Amino acid sequence: MTALDSVPTTQRPMGVAPQGPLDISDDDLVSCVACGLCLPHCPTYRVTGLETSSPRGRIAAMRAVQFGGAPIDTVFERYMEECIQCRGCEAACPSQVPYGRLIEGARQALHERRSHDRRRRRRLAEWLGYTVILPRHRLVIAATWLLGLGQRLRLVPRRLVPRGVALPLVSLTELRHPLQPTAPTAPSGASSGGPSTGNPTNAFDAVLFTGCVMDAWQRGTHRSAITVMESTGAMVGLPGPGGDCCGALHVHAGRTAEARRLAERVIASMPGDAPIVVDSAGCGAALKDYGHLLGSPEARAFSERVHDFAEWLAPRVDRLAVRDTHERVVVADPCHLRHVQRQTTPVRSILAASHRTVDTDDDGLCCGAGGAYNALQPDLALAARERKIAALQRAAGGAALTDFRVVSANPGCLMHLMAAGVRAVHPADLLAEALDPEHPRWPRDAIRPEPSRHPGSTP
Amino acid sequence: MTRVGAVAPALSAAEVAERAREIAASIGSSHGPVVAVGAQTHWEVGGPVPDLEEALVVRAPSGIVAYDPAELTITCGAGTPVAMLDATLAEAGQECPLDPADPAATVGGVLMAGLSGRRRLRWGPLRERLLEARFVTGDGRIVKGGGPTVKNVTGFDVCRLLVGSLGTLGVAVQVTLRCQPRQSVALWTVGPTGVSAADVRRRLFNPSCVASDTQGVHVLFEGHADDIDAELAVSGCTPVVAGPIGPQGPWRGRISVPVTALRAVVDGLDGLDGLDGLGALATSMVPAAGDGVTVAWLAEWGVGTVHVASLSAEGLLAARALAQAHGGWLLREAGRLGPAGPDGAGPSGVGLDDGFGVGLPDPQIQRRLKMAFDPAGRLNPGRIPL
Amino acid sequence: MDATVPDHRADRSFASPSDAELTRLVADLGVALGPDRARSDPLELALYARDAGVASGRAAAVCFPRTTAEVAAAVQTARRHGRPFLGRGSGTGLAGGATPVDDPVVIVTTQMNRVLEVDVDERFAWVEPGVLNLDLTRAVAHLGLHYAPDPSSQQACSIGGNVATNAGGPHCLLYGTTQAHVLAAEVVLPDGTVTVLGGLSPDQPGYDLRGVFVGSEGTMGIATRIAVRLMPDPPALRTLLLDFTDVDAAAATVSGIIADGLVPAALEMMDADITRMVEDFVGAGYPRDAAAVLLVEVDGLTHGVDDAIEIIRRVGTANGARTVRVAADATERNLLWKGRKSAFGAIARIAPNYYLHDTVVPRTRLVEVLRGVYAIADEQRIKVLNVFHAGDGNLHPLLVFDGREPGVMERVHAAGDAIIELSLSVGGVLSGEHGIGLEKRAYMRSQFSPDDLHVQAGMRDAFDPDGFSNPHKVLPAGSRCGDVQSLPEGVWV
Ligand SMILES: Cc1cc2nc3c(=O)[nH]c(=O)nc-3n(C[C@H](O)[C@H](O)[C@H](O)COP(=O)(O)OP(=O)(O)OC[C@H]3O[C@@H](n4cnc5c(N)ncnc54)[C@H](O)[C@@H]3O)c2cc1C
Ligand SMILES: Cc1cc2nc3c(=O)[nH]c(=O)nc-3n(C[C@H](O)[C@H](O)[C@H](O)COP(=O)(O)OP(=O)(O)OC[C@H]3O[C@@H](n4cnc5c(N)ncnc54)[C@H](O)[C@@H]3O)c2cc1C
Ligand code: SF4
Ligand code: SF4
Ligand code: SF4
Repeated sequence: MTALDSVPTTQRPMGVAPQGPLDISDDDLVSCVACGLCLPHCPTYRVTGLETSSPRGRIAAMRAVQFGGAPIDTVFERYMEECIQCRGCEAACPSQVPYGRLIEGARQALHERRSHDRRRRRRLAEWLGYTVILPRHRLVIAATWLLGLGQRLRLVPRRLVPRGVALPLVSLTELRHPLQPTAPTAPSGASSGGPSTGNPTNAFDAVLFTGCVMDAWQRGTHRSAITVMESTGAMVGLPGPGGDCCGALHVHAGRTAEARRLAERVIASMPGDAPIVVDSAGCGAALKDYGHLLGSPEARAFSERVHDFAEWLAPRVDRLAVRDTHERVVVADPCHLRHVQRQTTPVRSILAASHRTVDTDDDGLCCGAGGAYNALQPDLALAARERKIAALQRAAGGAALTDFRVVSANPGCLMHLMAAGVRAVHPADLLAEALDPEHPRWPRDAIRPEPSRHPGSTP
Repeated sequence: MTRVGAVAPALSAAEVAERAREIAASIGSSHGPVVAVGAQTHWEVGGPVPDLEEALVVRAPSGIVAYDPAELTITCGAGTPVAMLDATLAEAGQECPLDPADPAATVGGVLMAGLSGRRRLRWGPLRERLLEARFVTGDGRIVKGGGPTVKNVTGFDVCRLLVGSLGTLGVAVQVTLRCQPRQSVALWTVGPTGVSAADVRRRLFNPSCVASDTQGVHVLFEGHADDIDAELAVSGCTPVVAGPIGPQGPWRGRISVPVTALRAVVDGLDGLDGLDGLGALATSMVPAAGDGVTVAWLAEWGVGTVHVASLSAEGLLAARALAQAHGGWLLREAGRLGPAGPDGAGPSGVGLDDGFGVGLPDPQIQRRLKMAFDPAGRLNPGRIPL
Repeated sequence: MDATVPDHRADRSFASPSDAELTRLVADLGVALGPDRARSDPLELALYARDAGVASGRAAAVCFPRTTAEVAAAVQTARRHGRPFLGRGSGTGLAGGATPVDDPVVIVTTQMNRVLEVDVDERFAWVEPGVLNLDLTRAVAHLGLHYAPDPSSQQACSIGGNVATNAGGPHCLLYGTTQAHVLAAEVVLPDGTVTVLGGLSPDQPGYDLRGVFVGSEGTMGIATRIAVRLMPDPPALRTLLLDFTDVDAAAATVSGIIADGLVPAALEMMDADITRMVEDFVGAGYPRDAAAVLLVEVDGLTHGVDDAIEIIRRVGTANGARTVRVAADATERNLLWKGRKSAFGAIARIAPNYYLHDTVVPRTRLVEVLRGVYAIADEQRIKVLNVFHAGDGNLHPLLVFDGREPGVMERVHAAGDAIIELSLSVGGVLSGEHGIGLEKRAYMRSQFSPDDLHVQAGMRDAFDPDGFSNPHKVLPAGSRCGDVQSLPEGVWV
């Protein structure tokens, strides 16, 4: 008789309802039928061909831990950490396995375990990053400023940065100029007005969430977003104090408790009912998930207000006066937009009048950026990027990287791609370039009340 | 459609079973060679002709066992003449493109010879047609391979193995074939002059055959009349004759080369001209039955088959050498070499009786396969020489 | 008579290796392929314990060759250590074909994923076995070509796996299954030598070894390079959706269309529950209240296609179709197909487990067989969904259940047995495209006699006289003696 006792089973034993060490629902875990249809949509599987770096394999490993008594050891940890959390698998899964929930649960278990036995230096670094810097806007700016200065002074040693990994080339000038919300004007006001301060209220038509890293690294894009939004006649507000960091990276790292605290601060920073516009796909996904993260009615109501930049703009795009640039741009949908927010049409429709958008043939396979992933798993991230770049070039008809631009609405993806020499640009920046300066901005009057997402409901 | 004649008689499954038992019993009660005989239209292929005096000669029954047009399959005795099968199918507007040179050939013989017809480019090789076979093995077992439905992956593919096995693995008693709707129009055409067969083919979506010979390009179209008109316009082909039977010749050999080498082989055949008068053959040979023309070679583009004929064994040997030089081989087809004399006799096939002329690939596997079906080597000894 | 028959090794068993043997095996594989490409961590092995089927086994080691030579080296190493081996592609097989039994070395082809050569004029390509089916079609799309066999799993399954299972798909109705699209395969034979079966020439001297290899489910060696036919994209292509308030009417339409002299490119059927489910997933505009829908595709030259649409409309309407919708554009067509191709995966939304059968019945018997299938499921109190290749009578009754419910497996198996018995009784076959693998071999005896199985065992032996390649698959144990069949030891269901 073959002894199978020592073999962890990846299958749920029939007729038993065990309680395993991972804080994830058994129902979620068994909903995977191992069909493998997600495999090609997983960037890490695509570049390795290993079941261990595939969604199906990761789920099977979770099952082995949860049902089969397999240990939570370094092997398991590696399988979980190699996941980019792009959730391409989730969008592709016909059984709608909630992979995002599963991996977050598994990461949380790992985080808790790690708190005990991780090397102290690494823990200190993580604590510094996740708990001290990210939630503090000024610190991110300061850290970024130092980084930017360091880059110029060549103080950041090359060898500390894995080759080809994205580091933002920070504009120090940008950082000296804070963003400004639209100034309150007369009801028919069409001028850009002077700066104004204070919390967003219902006086604004939309609030632009600025985030931490994005604001520090790509503030110019925020400016573009505000310009474009204002051109539709909208008054754009900014978050009040506390609206610094969405907590997405914390969720990904399994630091759920910290993420919850950040989410509460973000919600508090944007009271009222004006739509919240996010021009970073990662942040947008995180904000849209607050309802699930916090589970409170307020959080759910808040998440309802969140829109991606393109999603907000698409129904208003007719108000934009743009030139047709005839430029062909290849769309690289950020995972958090395509797989998580499931928003793919808006970015194409907002660019329709000014650019010729081209799609890749890879079903939106992740580029490997994945928030902090490209720094933590550089090999996989770079291999995924190589694949992505090949797809981008195919879409551009085999053109050289210098000969076309790529549009992506996520700062992480933009930097990751730019680090490889891709001319990647945010759609807000593309639109800002294409705005017709001669044309008057749309009058504000016409856009109140806010076009409803639910036809028939009265404001 | 030109072949419609007498339809096949009905044959009951019980009769087939009885016949199978008889064949199994006669194999069991004898010891010498066992030779299945069809219409003997292709008797010389694949090795020396068996001595029927010495052998137990067996024949498969003839007739239709089951046919429902809505299934697109037909089950018949393996001894059914193809002409009768065709007539039966034609009544329901269907066909099974076995396309033997001589419609007197039996269904079993055609399958066992395994040579695909002229319409292979579009309708696929002969081996795709056989869905189920009931046969008697060399050790007297009555065996069923495959299944009667159009789709089936149950177990190993016995049918693919039988097609082309030249009666060396079993005596086919009953077969089920996949049929298809008969196309409303079939039209042979000649291609525009000065345009190569490969170019003509590139202009077309799915011609049934694109062939070339010394006289030009021949294309068979099948389908909707309006579509064919459009394709004619695109390709510049000119209609010649209706019906699926195209250029005919008293073919004596069949070259099989990698599709990528076809052009080189065709050029080489042109070059053989002076050597042994293959070209001269085109004019000196008696035209075969049908409306076609007589040529010395006919190449099927996109398939890699070249039919060749020669006045002498040397001519065929030269063609064989040419094929082999390009990674192919030449199978000697039925019939005596050269044009038949008044008494039906002609030059003998000296040097070509060795079946394939090349060693068999993976002979060990082939030998073990033979052993599995015919452990004592009684079926058609000498055919498929191993 | 039997004295002359060589011993059959098809059902040979291999003893479990000791820990020391395993260590030596993995070390040697590491030498042959490089250390990171031969692995044996228990958790990693557990992930290779099964495919998309139900049964689960155990591998001794798993390795990831990148070249034919490396596959041959892996096979030779396994044999030297007395271990069987098993080829694995994407592991989407539904019959346990890639489930490791008797602690084999699992040889995974996912890192052999290059399209090596595309010949546009002669319309073929040489590919490595790990190339995914849909990737191949995408790689040649800009040339106006495609790879015709399109299993519903085409986005994920490998060409090597397709060859091994002779995979079919909706469009195989007109264009034939994988068998018709494989010209040649370079194969590492079970003795570790390399050969090429078939070729680019139309016929090979001797027996059609290529034809035997296709569909042999990994029991005759490992394909390392494959030459496949590519098909030109049809000039005209139309997809129709017919919607019925009655399953019988839909089934009658299927045979009606064929009897009318039309073989569509694809002719698929989905019943009420599955239609609703895929509509929830893709939102393709499938009628959520239909009792059954037919998805029909016709392609070719324009006039023929127009005629075909009329035939379908006429036959459908005569049989009581509520609506006949022709997809307006590529987007609509793709959405309809996405729905159809997501159907299997989507069932987990109803219940967490499924068992899928794959019988084929004569299409004129579809109405009665479908009725029978629903009755059987009712009797066993199991939910059954039907989504299948109606055009060729290939049923896919999906029995969905929650394995946590006590006693449910017995009822699932009882229903499966009854469905198979019913299908065979009307002249059908056991498997249309998923293969036999491990899970269906018990049923082989209901379709084949001992003599039938005897010659099949001989075919396997011809390729693998020592029984090293994917043992315990396809043929039931003791293929000549008719003993009672069970799952081999060490396999979990
Ligand atoms: C000039 C020429 C061109 C041809 N071109 C084509 C073509 O284009 N397409 C095509 O399909 N064919 C073609 N053929 C092949 C030919 O049509 C068939 O091979 C032939 O018809 C066989 O049928 P038969 O009944 O005469 O068999 P026979 O000549 O009697 O036998 C042929 C072989 O099959 C075996 N055999 C016969 N019946 C059985 C059985 N029931 N069970 C087992 N073994 C059996 C015999 O033992 C023998 O080895 C051509 C032949 C010729 C002469
Ligand atoms: C949702 C879903 C839908 C499906 N739809 C269809 C369908 O419509 N039609 C259909 O036919 N199938 C279908 N299948 C089944 C499955 O996708 C096919 O059987 C496919 O061909 C398996 O390919 P794979 O790469 O996953 O092979 P695997 O599952 O890895 O292996 C399958 C078999 O092939 C062998 N094998 C794999 N690679 C090689 C190689 N290189 N050389 C030799 N042997 C090898 C294995 O040993 C095993 O026996 C479906 C499966 C799923 C999950
Ligand atoms: S996650 Fe979904 S798509 Fe992936 S294997 Fe599981 S059920 Fe299939
Ligand atoms: S989230 Fe992305 S990287 Fe992780 S398993 Fe899913 S597809 Fe793969
Ligand atoms: S997701 Fe947004 S807010 Fe959160 S860390 Fe990243 S950039 Fe900052």
